Amino acid sequence: MKTLTRRGLAGLAGASCLPAARAATRPAAPRVVVIGGGAGGATVARYLAMNDKPLDVTLVEPKQRYTTCFFSNLYLAGLRSFESLTRGYDALADRYGIQVVHDHAAAIDPAAKTVRLGGGASLPYDRLVVAPGIAFRDGAIAGYDDAAMQIMPHAWMAGPQTLLLRSQLEAMPDGGVFVIAAPADPFRCPPGPYERASLVAAYFRQHKPRSKIQILDAKDTFFEQELFQDGWNRHYPGMIEWLPNQFIGTIESVDVKDRSIRTADQTFKADVINLIPPQLAAGLARQAGLADETGWCPVDPATYESTLHRDIHLVGDAVSVGIMPKSAYVANSQAKACAFAIASALIGSEPVRPFLYNTCYTFLAPDDAVSDAISFRIASGKTEIAEILMSKLDQSPAERAAAVREANGWYDAFTRDIFG
Amino acid sequence: MKRHRIALALVLAGMIVQPCAADQGRGLAAACASCHRTDGHDTVIPSIAGLDESRIVHLMLAYRSADQGSQIMHVVAGALSPEEIAAVAHYVAGHPSGTRQP
Repeated sequence: MKTLTRRGLAGLAGASCLPAARAATRPAAPRVVVIGGGAGGATVARYLAMNDKPLDVTLVEPKQRYTTCFFSNLYLAGLRSFESLTRGYDALADRYGIQVVHDHAAAIDPAAKTVRLGGGASLPYDRLVVAPGIAFRDGAIAGYDDAAMQIMPHAWMAGPQTLLLRSQLEAMPDGGVFVIAAPADPFRCPPGPYERASLVAAYFRQHKPRSKIQILDAKDTFFEQELFQDGWNRHYPGMIEWLPNQFIGTIESVDVKDRSIRTADQTFKADVINLIPPQLAAGLARQAGLADETGWCPVDPATYESTLHRDIHLVGDAVSVGIMPKSAYVANSQAKACAFAIASALIGSEPVRPFLYNTCYTFLAPDDAVSDAISFRIASGKTEIAEILMSKLDQSPAERAAAVREANGWYDAFTRDIFG
Repeated sequence: MKRHRIALALVLAGMIVQPCAADQGRGLAAACASCHRTDGHDTVIPSIAGLDESRIVHLMLAYRSADQGSQIMHVVAGALSPEEIAAVAHYVAGHPSGTRQP
């Protein structure tokens, strides 16, 4: 199914009509196709469309509405509605003139410079931006297939999986065990599994106080570890048990019928299992030859053009750029650098120095949030950290509560920056 | 006059300013919009549209040097040169709410 949400474009007859329709209205505008309407792709599309000189921008995204993975842990804890996490594409189409095509990109032909859509149409481009997000590594955990995901949700791509995990947590009896399996680096949202443990603990504390949470970690340390463990001791003493890789070994298989997870020599049974699998760049990027042997996509650190294919740029979780964390904020920051680089190449706007930055607000409890701030610089062709600051352990409850209010304000401004 | 005050602020801060191109201001100001609304609506985090130019420069220089206050803004301001702060301030001040940004 394909629909166009750009108002005033009469040609709903099919994507094959689109190039002609565009040529009639804006003959000279260079064409940019953006695949993926998340934090990275939608930001690239919007910033390209805001240029003074015309660019013909098409955004390809199968979903009619996007659910943000960031802040979805608040939904799991019953602190935010699911609807409050979703955004549509009408503003990008109506206010910015972006052609939004609700279809999936089936294949990229870098030689012919075209994108083939699932519906069969072919979109030509002068520059292509691929922002496909992540996929899970096939076969990394025996037995964890599509059917197993319906029993042991990952809830690491927000949407139906998020709803499923919430319904399982609601159905879990008091005194039950909730297991979160956290993956090895690199993965989407480094503080995410631990924030999830924190906020589910807040839900349990109120509704199922005898319940326990175990984190089976593929790592021996994790991001903001001291802040999290301090928060767990203060808010949920005895409820959250973190088991590092050196104690439990690597997860090898799951048993769906038994609701259990196995490492080399231990078995963990639980009432609810949230298995966050090992990750890599989404399939389209790999099929198009945009990923290297690591499974992630190498890019120029200033322009986000692929180092493997000319005229194709990538942003967001699928790319590998030094030690930049895979966060929506980083994706949005990369997207702006990418959009300015493409505008400079296609319509001659003055090059802009990339400003690469990350902030994450992380909830330890409904009234206790921390943040980190990281600036990046490009030196000798590599992206490195210029400065990093994190919330301190000795902050007052009032400061932490202020960070909660700031975080909610940030979500509002940030999603407007992405979706208009 | 406003220009003079900004120049004075930066000279007092021990910095010499060569204003950079307008596009630099626009490009760097794009980073502000990741957290700040640009339509005049505050969300705990204040909207920055149309703020007074010299006030933005003063605030950014204070964030840059301060140990106290917002660590997020400290890291942002520390990543910008004085010339870039001047360019961002000029751009943001010239785009009050309701105008298309950045």
